[in-house]
Amino acid sequence: MNASLPPQHGEPGAGDPPDDDVLAGELVLGVLGPEERRRAQARAVADREFSARVASWERRFAPWLAEVAPLAPSVQLWPQICRRLGWESTPGRRPGLWQSLALWRGAAALAAVVALALWLSRPPGAPQPPAVAAVPPPVESAAARAVTTLAHDDGSPGWLASIDPVHGTVLVVPVPGAPDANGRVPELWIIPAGKAPRSLGAVSIDKSHTVAVPADSRSALVAGSVLAITLEPASGVPHAAPSGPIIAKGAIQT
Amino acid sequence: MSDPNERASLADSSPEALLAQVALGNRTAFETLYHGTADKLFGICVRVLGERSEAEEALQEVFANVWRKAAQFDPSRASAMSWLGMMARNKAIDRLRALPMRGALSPLEFAADVPDPGASPLQQADALAEGDRLAHCLEQLEPKRRSLIREAFFGGFTYEELAARAQAPLGSIKSWIRRGLLQLRACLEP
Repeated sequence: MNASLPPQHGEPGAGDPPDDDVLAGELVLGVLGPEERRRAQARAVADREFSARVASWERRFAPWLAEVAPLAPSVQLWPQICRRLGWESTPGRRPGLWQSLALWRGAAALAAVVALALWLSRPPGAPQPPAVAAVPPPVESAAARAVTTLAHDDGSPGWLASIDPVHGTVLVVPVPGAPDANGRVPELWIIPAGKAPRSLGAVSIDKSHTVAVPADSRSALVAGSVLAITLEPASGVPHAAPSGPIIAKGAIQT
Repeated sequence: MSDPNERASLADSSPEALLAQVALGNRTAFETLYHGTADKLFGICVRVLGERSEAEEALQEVFANVWRKAAQFDPSRASAMSWLGMMARNKAIDRLRALPMRGALSPLEFAADVPDPGASPLQQADALAEGDRLAHCLEQLEPKRRSLIREAFFGGFTYEELAARAQAPLGSIKSWIRRGLLQLRACLEP
Protein backbone atom coordinates (compact mmCIF):
# COMPACT_ATOMS: atom_id res chain seq x y z
CA MET A 1 0.00 0.00 0.00
CA ASN A 2 2.63 2.48 1.12
CA ALA A 3 4.84 1.60 -1.79
CA SER A 4 2.36 3.12 -4.22
CA LEU A 5 2.17 6.44 -2.39
CA PRO A 6 4.02 9.39 -3.87
CA PRO A 7 6.89 10.82 -1.81
CA GLN A 8 5.64 12.75 1.18
CA HIS A 9 6.14 16.46 1.44
CA GLY A 10 8.18 17.82 4.28
CA GLU A 11 6.69 18.73 7.62
CA PRO A 12 3.13 19.81 6.99
CA GLY A 13 2.64 23.43 7.83
CA ALA A 14 -0.64 24.89 8.97
CA GLY A 15 -0.84 27.32 6.06
CA ASP A 16 -0.12 25.00 3.15
CA PRO A 17 -2.87 22.82 1.74
CA PRO A 18 -2.21 19.32 3.10
CA ASP A 19 -1.15 16.54 0.77
CA ASP A 20 -3.80 14.01 -0.23
CA ASP A 21 -2.91 11.45 2.36
CA VAL A 22 -3.08 13.95 5.22
CA LEU A 23 -6.38 15.25 3.82
CA ALA A 24 -7.75 11.69 3.80
CA GLY A 25 -6.59 11.31 7.42
CA GLU A 26 -8.31 14.57 8.33
CA LEU A 27 -11.52 13.38 6.71
CA VAL A 28 -11.47 10.11 8.64
CA LEU A 29 -10.50 11.82 11.88
CA GLY A 30 -13.42 14.22 11.36
CA VAL A 31 -11.59 17.53 11.88
CA LEU A 32 -12.61 19.18 8.61
CA GLY A 33 -15.20 21.96 8.66
CA PRO A 34 -18.57 21.30 6.98
CA GLU A 35 -17.63 22.62 3.54
CA GLU A 36 -14.19 20.97 3.40
CA ARG A 37 -15.75 17.76 4.68
CA ARG A 38 -18.36 17.73 1.90
CA ARG A 39 -15.68 18.36 -0.71
CA ALA A 40 -13.45 15.59 0.63
CA GLN A 41 -16.41 13.18 0.84
CA ALA A 42 -17.28 13.91 -2.80
CA ARG A 43 -13.67 13.20 -3.76
CA ALA A 44 -13.72 9.93 -1.87
CA VAL A 45 -16.63 8.86 -4.08
CA ALA A 46 -15.21 10.05 -7.39
CA ASP A 47 -11.44 9.52 -6.99
CA ARG A 48 -10.28 5.92 -6.61
CA GLU A 49 -6.83 6.77 -5.31
CA PHE A 50 -8.19 9.15 -2.71
CA SER A 51 -10.81 6.59 -1.77
CA ALA A 52 -8.03 4.03 -1.16
CA ARG A 53 -6.24 6.52 1.10
CA VAL A 54 -9.44 7.05 3.07
CA ALA A 55 -9.84 3.27 3.41
CA SER A 56 -6.27 3.00 4.73
CA TRP A 57 -6.92 5.62 7.40
CA GLU A 58 -10.17 3.92 8.34
CA ARG A 59 -8.25 0.69 8.79
CA ARG A 60 -5.67 2.43 10.96
CA PHE A 61 -8.31 3.92 13.25
CA ALA A 62 -10.64 0.90 13.27
CA PRO A 63 -9.24 -0.43 16.57
CA TRP A 64 -10.63 2.61 18.33
CA LEU A 65 -14.14 1.74 17.14
CA ALA A 66 -13.67 -1.79 18.44
CA GLU A 67 -13.21 -0.46 21.95
CA VAL A 68 -16.51 1.48 22.04
CA ALA A 69 -19.04 -0.12 24.38
CA PRO A 70 -22.23 -1.46 22.75
CA LEU A 71 -25.48 0.19 23.81
CA ALA A 72 -28.99 -1.04 23.02
CA PRO A 73 -31.11 1.38 20.97
CA SER A 74 -34.86 1.69 21.53
CA VAL A 75 -36.94 -1.29 20.38
CA GLN A 76 -38.86 1.20 18.23
CA LEU A 77 -35.85 1.73 16.02
CA TRP A 78 -36.23 -1.36 13.84
CA PRO A 79 -39.86 -0.62 12.90
CA GLN A 80 -38.82 2.98 12.18
CA ILE A 81 -36.10 1.75 9.82
CA CYS A 82 -38.65 -0.49 8.08
CA ARG A 83 -41.01 2.45 7.62
CA ARG A 84 -38.18 4.61 6.34
CA LEU A 85 -37.44 1.98 3.69
CA GLY A 86 -41.10 1.91 2.73
CA TRP A 87 -41.77 -1.52 4.26
CA GLU A 88 -45.05 -2.18 5.99
CA SER A 89 -43.52 -4.03 8.92
CA THR A 90 -40.74 -6.45 9.68
CA PRO A 91 -40.23 -9.09 7.02
CA GLY A 92 -40.78 -11.96 9.42
CA ARG A 93 -44.19 -10.74 10.45
CA ARG A 94 -45.52 -9.74 7.06
CA PRO A 95 -48.82 -11.59 6.80
CA GLY A 96 -49.75 -10.52 3.28
CA LEU A 97 -47.12 -12.40 1.35
CA TRP A 98 -46.96 -15.65 3.23
CA GLN A 99 -50.69 -16.11 3.46
CA SER A 100 -51.22 -15.19 -0.15
CA LEU A 101 -52.96 -17.98 -2.04
CA ALA A 102 -51.44 -16.82 -5.33
CA LEU A 103 -47.95 -17.15 -3.91
CA TRP A 104 -48.54 -20.68 -2.70
CA ARG A 105 -50.07 -21.67 -6.00
CA GLY A 106 -47.14 -20.16 -7.85
CA ALA A 107 -44.70 -21.83 -5.49
CA ALA A 108 -46.40 -25.19 -5.95
CA ALA A 109 -46.29 -24.83 -9.72
CA LEU A 110 -42.64 -23.87 -9.61
CA ALA A 111 -41.75 -26.67 -7.21
CA ALA A 112 -43.23 -29.08 -9.70
CA VAL A 113 -41.24 -27.53 -12.52
CA VAL A 114 -38.04 -27.61 -10.48
CA ALA A 115 -38.61 -31.28 -9.72
CA LEU A 116 -39.19 -31.92 -13.39
CA ALA A 117 -36.15 -29.93 -14.46
CA LEU A 118 -33.92 -31.74 -11.99
CA TRP A 119 -35.33 -35.05 -13.16
CA LEU A 120 -34.69 -34.15 -16.81
CA SER A 121 -31.12 -33.11 -15.99
CA ARG A 122 -30.35 -36.30 -14.09
CA PRO A 123 -27.37 -38.27 -15.32
CA PRO A 124 -28.23 -41.18 -17.62
CA GLY A 125 -28.72 -44.39 -15.73
CA ALA A 126 -29.79 -42.67 -12.53
CA PRO A 127 -32.58 -44.41 -10.67
CA GLN A 128 -36.06 -43.49 -11.74
CA PRO A 129 -37.63 -40.91 -9.45
CA PRO A 130 -40.72 -41.86 -7.56
CA ALA A 131 -43.79 -41.56 -9.70
CA VAL A 132 -45.11 -38.63 -7.69
CA ALA A 133 -42.22 -36.36 -8.73
CA ALA A 134 -42.51 -37.26 -12.40
CA VAL A 135 -46.17 -36.37 -12.56
CA PRO A 136 -46.67 -32.79 -11.46
CA PRO A 137 -49.99 -32.25 -9.77
CA PRO A 138 -52.53 -30.35 -11.83
CA VAL A 139 -52.39 -26.63 -11.20
CA GLU A 140 -55.40 -24.35 -11.33
CA SER A 141 -55.42 -22.44 -14.57
CA ALA A 142 -55.89 -19.07 -12.84
CA ALA A 143 -52.45 -19.37 -11.26
CA ALA A 144 -50.72 -21.32 -13.98
CA ARG A 145 -48.13 -19.31 -15.85
CA ALA A 146 -45.65 -20.48 -18.39
CA VAL A 147 -42.16 -20.98 -17.05
CA THR A 148 -39.11 -19.89 -18.97
CA THR A 149 -36.01 -21.98 -18.38
CA LEU A 150 -32.77 -20.02 -18.36
CA ALA A 151 -30.33 -22.73 -19.34
CA HIS A 152 -26.56 -22.88 -19.11
CA ASP A 153 -24.56 -23.56 -22.28
CA ASP A 154 -24.63 -27.29 -21.53
CA GLY A 155 -28.41 -27.19 -21.49
CA SER A 156 -28.79 -27.68 -17.74
CA PRO A 157 -31.27 -25.29 -16.10
CA GLY A 158 -29.74 -22.40 -14.12
CA TRP A 159 -32.81 -20.37 -13.30
CA LEU A 160 -36.54 -20.62 -13.91
CA ALA A 161 -38.57 -17.51 -14.53
CA SER A 162 -42.30 -17.06 -14.34
CA ILE A 163 -43.69 -13.81 -15.69
CA ASP A 164 -46.65 -11.96 -14.26
CA PRO A 165 -47.50 -9.50 -17.05
CA VAL A 166 -50.36 -7.97 -15.05
CA HIS A 167 -48.12 -6.79 -12.21
CA GLY A 168 -44.98 -6.44 -14.32
CA THR A 169 -42.98 -8.87 -12.18
CA VAL A 170 -40.82 -11.91 -12.78
CA LEU A 171 -40.57 -14.66 -10.20
CA VAL A 172 -37.03 -16.00 -10.43
CA VAL A 173 -36.13 -19.43 -9.03
CA PRO A 174 -32.49 -20.51 -9.11
CA VAL A 175 -31.36 -24.10 -9.31
CA PRO A 176 -28.91 -23.54 -6.44
CA GLY A 177 -25.34 -23.13 -7.66
CA ALA A 178 -21.96 -22.01 -6.41
CA PRO A 179 -21.19 -18.29 -6.10
CA ASP A 180 -18.78 -16.80 -8.63
CA ALA A 181 -15.18 -17.26 -7.49
CA ASN A 182 -14.41 -13.66 -8.49
CA GLY A 183 -17.21 -12.15 -6.41
CA ARG A 184 -19.35 -11.17 -9.39
CA VAL A 185 -23.12 -11.39 -9.04
CA PRO A 186 -25.67 -12.74 -11.53
CA GLU A 187 -27.60 -9.93 -13.21
CA LEU A 188 -30.83 -10.53 -15.12
CA TRP A 189 -31.43 -8.89 -18.50
CA ILE A 190 -34.44 -8.67 -20.75
CA ILE A 191 -33.50 -8.60 -24.42
CA PRO A 192 -36.41 -7.61 -26.70
CA ALA A 193 -36.10 -9.08 -30.20
CA GLY A 194 -33.52 -7.06 -32.13
CA LYS A 195 -32.93 -4.60 -29.28
CA ALA A 196 -30.30 -3.94 -26.63
CA PRO A 197 -30.45 -5.73 -23.25
CA ARG A 198 -32.00 -3.90 -20.31
CA SER A 199 -31.09 -4.78 -16.73
CA LEU A 200 -33.72 -6.17 -14.38
CA GLY A 201 -31.25 -6.15 -11.45
CA ALA A 202 -29.33 -8.79 -9.55
CA VAL A 203 -30.74 -12.27 -8.92
CA SER A 204 -30.00 -14.77 -6.21
CA ILE A 205 -28.14 -18.04 -6.74
CA ASP A 206 -29.97 -19.90 -4.01
CA LYS A 207 -33.23 -18.11 -3.15
CA SER A 208 -36.35 -17.53 -5.18
CA HIS A 209 -37.46 -13.93 -5.36
CA THR A 210 -39.61 -11.55 -7.36
CA VAL A 211 -38.06 -8.96 -9.65
CA ALA A 212 -40.07 -5.82 -10.41
CA VAL A 213 -39.70 -4.88 -14.06
CA PRO A 214 -39.31 -1.13 -14.75
CA ALA A 215 -42.42 0.29 -16.42
CA ASP A 216 -40.62 1.09 -19.67
CA SER A 217 -39.42 -2.52 -20.04
CA ARG A 218 -42.73 -4.27 -19.33
CA SER A 219 -43.77 -4.28 -22.96
CA ALA A 220 -40.77 -6.55 -23.57
CA LEU A 221 -42.22 -9.31 -21.35
CA VAL A 222 -43.57 -11.18 -24.37
CA ALA A 223 -42.77 -14.32 -26.33
CA GLY A 224 -39.79 -13.65 -28.56
CA SER A 225 -37.84 -11.67 -25.98
CA VAL A 226 -34.94 -13.38 -24.26
CA LEU A 227 -34.12 -13.44 -20.55
CA ALA A 228 -30.39 -13.73 -19.95
CA ILE A 229 -28.12 -13.77 -16.91
CA THR A 230 -24.58 -12.39 -16.94
CA LEU A 231 -21.92 -12.16 -14.24
CA GLU A 232 -21.34 -8.53 -13.29
CA PRO A 233 -19.50 -6.53 -10.62
CA ALA A 234 -21.56 -6.37 -7.43
CA SER A 235 -21.44 -2.58 -7.35
CA GLY A 236 -23.48 -0.45 -9.70
CA VAL A 237 -26.32 -2.92 -10.26
CA PRO A 238 -28.47 -2.36 -12.30
CA HIS A 239 -25.86 -1.68 -14.97
CA ALA A 240 -26.59 0.21 -18.17
CA ALA A 241 -25.20 -2.64 -20.27
CA PRO A 242 -23.82 -6.11 -19.61
CA SER A 243 -20.02 -6.43 -19.40
CA GLY A 244 -19.62 -10.03 -18.24
CA PRO A 245 -20.24 -13.42 -19.81
CA ILE A 246 -23.76 -14.78 -20.35
CA ILE A 247 -24.09 -17.77 -18.03
CA ALA A 248 -27.73 -18.67 -18.71
CA LYS A 249 -30.47 -17.65 -21.12
CA GLY A 250 -33.86 -18.61 -22.42
CA ALA A 251 -36.53 -17.30 -24.77
CA ILE A 252 -39.70 -16.21 -22.99
CA GLN A 253 -42.58 -18.70 -23.16
CA THR A 254 -46.03 -17.33 -22.63
CA MET B 1 -37.85 -15.84 1.95
CA SER B 2 -38.25 -15.29 5.65
CA ASP B 3 -39.23 -18.63 7.05
CA PRO B 4 -37.96 -19.70 10.47
CA ASN B 5 -35.44 -22.12 8.94
CA GLU B 6 -33.79 -19.39 6.93
CA ARG B 7 -33.84 -17.14 9.98
CA ALA B 8 -32.11 -19.82 12.04
CA SER B 9 -29.46 -20.51 9.40
CA LEU B 10 -28.74 -16.81 8.97
CA ALA B 11 -28.35 -16.33 12.71
CA ASP B 12 -24.95 -18.04 12.58
CA SER B 13 -23.77 -16.12 9.51
CA SER B 14 -20.87 -13.69 9.65
CA PRO B 15 -21.62 -9.99 9.05
CA GLU B 16 -19.72 -10.38 5.77
CA ALA B 17 -22.03 -13.17 4.61
CA LEU B 18 -25.10 -11.22 5.74
CA LEU B 19 -23.98 -8.11 3.84
CA ALA B 20 -23.60 -10.23 0.68
CA GLN B 21 -27.20 -11.40 1.11
CA VAL B 22 -28.40 -7.86 1.83
CA ALA B 23 -26.78 -6.78 -1.44
CA LEU B 24 -29.13 -9.24 -3.18
CA GLY B 25 -32.13 -7.69 -1.46
CA ASN B 26 -32.59 -10.30 1.28
CA ARG B 27 -34.63 -8.59 4.01
CA THR B 28 -34.31 -11.45 6.46
CA ALA B 29 -30.52 -11.16 6.23
CA PHE B 30 -30.90 -7.40 6.73
CA GLU B 31 -32.96 -7.90 9.88
CA THR B 32 -30.47 -10.47 11.19
CA LEU B 33 -27.63 -8.04 10.49
CA TYR B 34 -29.51 -5.30 12.32
CA HIS B 35 -30.05 -7.41 15.43
CA GLY B 36 -26.43 -8.54 15.40
CA THR B 37 -24.81 -5.13 14.98
CA ALA B 38 -27.23 -2.38 16.11
CA ASP B 39 -25.95 -2.28 19.71
CA LYS B 40 -22.36 -1.83 18.63
CA LEU B 41 -23.21 0.79 16.01
CA PHE B 42 -25.54 2.62 18.39
CA GLY B 43 -22.69 2.74 20.94
CA ILE B 44 -20.55 4.45 18.31
CA CYS B 45 -23.28 6.97 17.40
CA VAL B 46 -23.89 7.83 21.05
CA ARG B 47 -20.18 8.19 21.63
CA VAL B 48 -19.94 10.81 18.87
CA LEU B 49 -23.28 12.57 19.33
CA GLY B 50 -23.40 12.41 23.12
CA GLU B 51 -27.10 11.62 23.42
CA ARG B 52 -29.60 8.97 22.42
CA SER B 53 -32.26 10.66 20.30
CA GLU B 54 -29.80 12.14 17.80
CA ALA B 55 -27.88 8.86 17.83
CA GLU B 56 -31.06 6.95 16.97
CA GLU B 57 -31.69 9.26 14.02
CA ALA B 58 -28.12 8.66 12.88
CA LEU B 59 -28.50 4.90 13.26
CA GLN B 60 -31.65 4.95 11.10
CA GLU B 61 -29.65 6.69 8.39
CA VAL B 62 -26.88 4.13 8.79
CA PHE B 63 -29.16 1.16 8.21
CA ALA B 64 -31.05 2.83 5.37
CA ASN B 65 -27.61 3.34 3.82
CA VAL B 66 -26.58 -0.26 4.50
CA TRP B 67 -29.69 -1.50 2.69
CA ARG B 68 -28.93 0.64 -0.35
CA LYS B 69 -25.16 0.30 -0.43
CA ALA B 70 -24.42 -3.21 0.79
CA ALA B 71 -23.15 -4.08 -2.69
CA GLN B 72 -20.38 -1.51 -2.25
CA PHE B 73 -18.88 -3.36 0.70
CA ASP B 74 -15.46 -4.64 -0.35
CA PRO B 75 -14.21 -7.41 1.97
CA SER B 76 -10.66 -6.97 0.65
CA ARG B 77 -10.57 -3.46 2.11
CA ALA B 78 -12.11 -3.85 5.54
CA SER B 79 -13.96 -6.24 7.78
CA ALA B 80 -17.73 -5.86 7.75
CA MET B 81 -17.69 -4.54 11.33
CA SER B 82 -15.07 -1.90 10.45
CA TRP B 83 -17.06 -0.88 7.39
CA LEU B 84 -20.29 -0.63 9.38
CA GLY B 85 -18.57 1.07 12.32
CA MET B 86 -16.94 3.69 10.12
CA MET B 87 -20.25 4.30 8.34
CA ALA B 88 -21.94 4.79 11.73
CA ARG B 89 -19.24 7.20 12.86
CA ASN B 90 -19.42 9.13 9.59
CA LYS B 91 -23.20 9.48 9.75
CA ALA B 92 -22.94 10.56 13.39
CA ILE B 93 -20.34 13.21 12.50
CA ASP B 94 -22.41 14.44 9.54
CA ARG B 95 -25.33 14.80 11.92
CA LEU B 96 -23.17 16.54 14.50
CA ARG B 97 -22.07 19.08 11.88
CA ALA B 98 -25.70 19.80 11.02
CA LEU B 99 -26.79 20.42 14.61
CA PRO B 100 -27.48 24.05 15.41
CA MET B 101 -26.67 23.78 19.13
CA ARG B 102 -23.30 22.11 18.87
CA GLY B 103 -21.99 23.28 22.28
CA ALA B 104 -25.05 22.10 24.15
CA LEU B 105 -24.19 18.45 23.67
CA SER B 106 -20.67 18.83 25.11
CA PRO B 107 -19.52 15.43 23.95
CA LEU B 108 -15.96 15.95 25.16
CA GLU B 109 -16.84 15.20 28.77
CA PHE B 110 -18.92 12.25 27.66
CA ALA B 111 -16.36 10.91 25.27
CA ALA B 112 -13.07 11.70 26.89
CA ASP B 113 -12.24 8.83 29.17
CA VAL B 114 -15.33 6.79 29.78
CA PRO B 115 -14.06 3.26 30.35
CA ASP B 116 -15.34 0.72 27.88
CA PRO B 117 -16.04 -2.49 29.72
CA GLY B 118 -18.69 -3.56 27.24
CA ALA B 119 -16.72 -4.89 24.27
CA SER B 120 -17.12 -8.64 24.20
CA PRO B 121 -14.03 -10.77 24.85
CA LEU B 122 -14.25 -12.01 21.28
CA GLN B 123 -14.32 -8.52 19.80
CA GLN B 124 -11.51 -7.52 22.10
CA ALA B 125 -9.44 -10.49 21.02
CA ASP B 126 -10.10 -9.68 17.37
CA ALA B 127 -9.13 -6.09 17.81
CA LEU B 128 -6.30 -6.74 20.23
CA ALA B 129 -3.37 -7.09 17.87
CA GLU B 130 -4.28 -4.04 15.79
CA GLY B 131 -5.48 -2.14 18.82
CA ASP B 132 -2.16 -2.79 20.54
CA ARG B 133 -0.30 -1.39 17.57
CA LEU B 134 -2.47 1.71 17.46
CA ALA B 135 -2.07 2.20 21.22
CA HIS B 136 1.67 1.63 20.95
CA CYS B 137 2.01 4.14 18.12
CA LEU B 138 -0.10 6.70 19.95
CA GLU B 139 2.23 6.34 22.92
CA GLN B 140 5.04 7.49 20.65
CA LEU B 141 3.28 10.81 20.00
CA GLU B 142 3.85 13.73 22.28
CA PRO B 143 0.97 13.98 24.75
CA LYS B 144 -0.57 17.09 23.22
CA ARG B 145 -0.86 15.55 19.76
CA ARG B 146 -2.09 12.29 21.20
CA SER B 147 -4.92 13.79 23.22
CA LEU B 148 -5.96 16.10 20.36
CA ILE B 149 -6.23 13.20 17.91
CA ARG B 150 -8.17 11.08 20.35
CA GLU B 151 -10.53 13.94 21.23
CA ALA B 152 -11.06 14.66 17.55
CA PHE B 153 -11.81 11.02 16.77
CA PHE B 154 -14.33 10.41 19.52
CA GLY B 155 -15.77 13.90 19.86
CA GLY B 156 -16.08 14.64 16.15
CA PHE B 157 -14.53 18.09 16.67
CA THR B 158 -13.46 20.30 13.79
CA TYR B 159 -10.14 22.10 13.78
CA GLU B 160 -11.95 25.30 14.74
CA GLU B 161 -13.70 23.64 17.68
CA LEU B 162 -10.51 22.02 18.90
CA ALA B 163 -8.74 25.39 18.73
CA ALA B 164 -11.50 27.03 20.76
CA ARG B 165 -11.50 24.27 23.34
CA ALA B 166 -7.74 24.17 23.68
CA GLN B 167 -7.52 27.99 23.54
CA ALA B 168 -4.73 27.61 21.03
CA PRO B 169 -4.23 29.22 17.60
CA LEU B 170 -5.97 27.38 14.75
CA GLY B 171 -2.68 27.10 12.85
CA SER B 172 -0.98 25.34 15.75
CA ILE B 173 -3.83 22.86 16.14
CA LYS B 174 -3.75 22.00 12.43
CA SER B 175 -0.01 21.59 12.49
CA TRP B 176 -0.04 19.35 15.59
CA ILE B 177 -2.72 17.08 14.19
CA ARG B 178 -1.20 16.84 10.72
CA ARG B 179 2.20 15.97 12.16
CA GLY B 180 0.54 13.51 14.50
CA LEU B 181 -1.21 11.82 11.56
CA LEU B 182 2.04 11.48 9.64
CA GLN B 183 3.82 10.08 12.68
CA LEU B 184 1.01 7.61 13.27
CA ARG B 185 1.07 6.44 9.69
CA ALA B 186 4.84 6.01 9.74
CA CYS B 187 4.62 4.00 12.95
CA LEU B 188 1.68 1.81 11.88
CA GLU B 189 3.05 1.11 8.41
CA PRO B 190 6.81 1.48 8.53
